[in-house]
Amino acid sequence: MKTLNFLESWVTNFLTIAMFFYLASFLLYLVRLFKGPTIPDMVLVIDALGYDLAAFLIILSIILRSPILIPCAIVLTLWIYALDIYVAKYLEAKEMGE
Amino acid sequence: MNSMDVELINWILVVIGQILVAIGVLCDLIAAILMIRFPNFYIRLHALTIGSIGGAIIPAIGAALIAFGSPFLGMFRWFVAGGALVTALFIFILGGAGAHAIARAAYKSKVVAYQPCYVNQLAEDRGGDKC
Repeated sequence: MKTLNFLESWVTNFLTIAMFFYLASFLLYLVRLFKGPTIPDMVLVIDALGYDLAAFLIILSIILRSPILIPCAIVLTLWIYALDIYVAKYLEAKEMGE
Repeated sequence: MNSMDVELINWILVVIGQILVAIGVLCDLIAAILMIRFPNFYIRLHALTIGSIGGAIIPAIGAALIAFGSPFLGMFRWFVAGGALVTALFIFILGGAGAHAIARAAYKSKVVAYQPCYVNQLAEDRGGDKC
């Protein structure tokens, strides 16, 4: 039987507790996302949600010991930036710009 | 360097990383509460700054330090640490650029209401009225 050493259990417990605070703040972000009166408000909340989700995926990959989540975090960051630019372009010029 | 020193360095890296992750969690909760409480769009940009710099870059760097100091993760800890640092760099560059783009578009297209208005120096410089 493999015994967990002290460093491993310390890191895993700490990150598991931090994970619940992240989930709580995600729920608070969703309140503003569904309440947001205009489109730029929603885009702002999706920005914050996406960047925090990228950090959350990195923490989750340490907890679950699965390295496949790291490229997801990098690509998610780039897509959030693309959403910003698309919506800004649409609001200014009223066209998507293909 | 014997194994005692390596273990000490691992502990120092892990504790510094945990302090950074704790700061990030705190900033994230504060940003989520402020995003609900702030009255209009332009003030909510400040909550976005807290949420992206304090809530995403600092915990990503902290997770990178934790992964550097965790030998139980095996060989893939270098992959996790490098990916976390690259993600932090991308958020650092692209977060500010995206927030500026969306704020400029929202101001120019007049989609959002500038409701509790005290001063608007950009409109004054262009010869319009205040607010």
